[in-house]
Amino acid sequence: MTPPVLDVGAILPMIIVAAGAVLMPLFEVLLARMIQQKRTWLSRPMTRELAGTMMAFGTALILGTALIFTLGGFLRPDRVFNADHPLIRLDAMALFLNAVVLLSAIMTVLISIRYLAELRNNRGEYYALLLASVLGMMLLTSAMDLLMLFLALELMTIPIYALAGYQRSSLRSNESALKYFVIGSFASGLLLYGTALLYGATGTLALDLIGQARFDQENPVALVGAGLLVIGLVFKVGGVPFHQWAPDVYEGAPTSVTGFMATAVKVAAFGALIRVMAVALGPSQDQFYVPLWVIAVLSMTVGNVMALIQRSVKRMLAYSSIAHAGYAMVGICVGTDEAYAAVLFYLLVYTFMSLGAFAVLAMATRERTQSGEIGDLAGLHATRPFFAAVMAICMFALAGIPGTGGFMGKFKLFEATIARWSATPADQGLLWLAVIGVLNSAVSLYYYLRVPVAMYMEDPRAGETEQPGSGFFGWLVLATCAAAIFLLGLMPQDLGLFWNLDPLAGAAAAADALR
Amino acid sequence: MGTFEYQVVAGLLFLIGAAGVLIRRNLIVVFMSIEMMLNAANLSLVAFSRQWGNLDGQVLVFMVIVVAAVEVAVGLAILISLIRNRDSVNVEDATLLKW
Repeated sequence: MTPPVLDVGAILPMIIVAAGAVLMPLFEVLLARMIQQKRTWLSRPMTRELAGTMMAFGTALILGTALIFTLGGFLRPDRVFNADHPLIRLDAMALFLNAVVLLSAIMTVLISIRYLAELRNNRGEYYALLLASVLGMMLLTSAMDLLMLFLALELMTIPIYALAGYQRSSLRSNESALKYFVIGSFASGLLLYGTALLYGATGTLALDLIGQARFDQENPVALVGAGLLVIGLVFKVGGVPFHQWAPDVYEGAPTSVTGFMATAVKVAAFGALIRVMAVALGPSQDQFYVPLWVIAVLSMTVGNVMALIQRSVKRMLAYSSIAHAGYAMVGICVGTDEAYAAVLFYLLVYTFMSLGAFAVLAMATRERTQSGEIGDLAGLHATRPFFAAVMAICMFALAGIPGTGGFMGKFKLFEATIARWSATPADQGLLWLAVIGVLNSAVSLYYYLRVPVAMYMEDPRAGETEQPGSGFFGWLVLATCAAAIFLLGLMPQDLGLFWNLDPLAGAAAAADALR
Repeated sequence: MGTFEYQVVAGLLFLIGAAGVLIRRNLIVVFMSIEMMLNAANLSLVAFSRQWGNLDGQVLVFMVIVVAAVEVAVGLAILISLIRNRDSVNVEDATLLKW
């Protein structure tokens, strides 16, 4: 038996991130010590502050390097890494989602510098935990084996538990971490038991070998196992009816972490879900059509209806992220290559629009009003016009106004749904899926528009005239999000002219290479 | 004992663990129930591994043992920071965040 070939060049981004996650805490201690010796006039908190800022730049650098190598692999589609490696497979889909995850992580790090400094809590372990979580995400999108899938999922979520509770003195942050921990571990337990049952039914943990088994009533062990596996992943993306944790956890966690949770975690979990559905459960997809249909419709509807009645912007965005998970579930339910490509493109767009909104929230609302009431944003136009403009763009994109990336993403999703419906017109469920999705987009317009209305048409509250600034890096993140939303909305194909990288074609190629 | 008996025991353990997470109010007991769910899956994996005659399942069990230890370490750390701010290990006291 020959050992599997390991192409070190292809997994270089993961190696870089892993080395960063391991060495960063050590580096921080040495750095703090060095600063203390050289600048003895600095107080101890100042020293930690300075070390934390340097750690942030180091982390951004590591993530940036990993991103460049990931894009480098993406530009050479001939180099599908290790098609015969049993544990991971870095195909175009994994590279695409890894690039999205890394982008999200870089933007999170850049907004965290100022945000954590305001909390007087800018320390190195934040960045080390973030790097560990990113490594888990990168492995999760490329896992080809249930062993790898479970390990990567845990590597992704365990640091996030700690990040959600990062503000140790805040009761809200503690509670958020606790809820996420209990629900997340419960979901992991379900997923692991599902894995055990699938192993029992098929005798293997490799996704492609599991795909050769049949899932039907004659094989109940496999069916229950697959069901538990999918439920565990749906927990992670926050689909209804497994969503109750999301608003509480998102509201209590530090806002910079919330942005990361709402984007990167969701992107990686959807990557695993697509791979499980396409590779392991693909041949017997019809068995899972009805449950996925129900989850997609419920997620869209419940997410949007609950978002209508929220007063806190952070909670509203949490419910909106549930609704957006529902839109992406539509693509997974449809299950054609075209639909998977639309999901990948949607995840890219969603990352920019959601992270942009959370970034504004992190910078514009003070931490003492942690929940970020909508009234806190009143009159933001007068005090911080740039924040208000970016927030408005993100809200329009999330609502799916034409011209923004949000519209293009939804258009591609529903186009794929209708395309499969016209191939099999007997299946009215697909048509309803698209109709319910469009109706939900219309409903969501109401609550998304409340934010621009508050920002542009209401007066600022008394005594709230002074807003904290964004700093250069915060500005950079907001400008990137706004630019990306318009570029992805207006000319997704023409982006290739600048960059030799076409997100739409990339997503399509990724879906092609999946099987 | 054949595989079936092991699977029945594993299934019962899993159900007890899941019920514990959903019903019990003491957080320490909830943590223990989560461990029970993971260990039920471990027992199931080992039994299936013997049935199929390959080691994939047992390798996964080793990984799960490590993950469970890590998970409980983080969970207890979260619990300690919660207790420092409020003297209670009761789930029902965690009511700050709700709709």
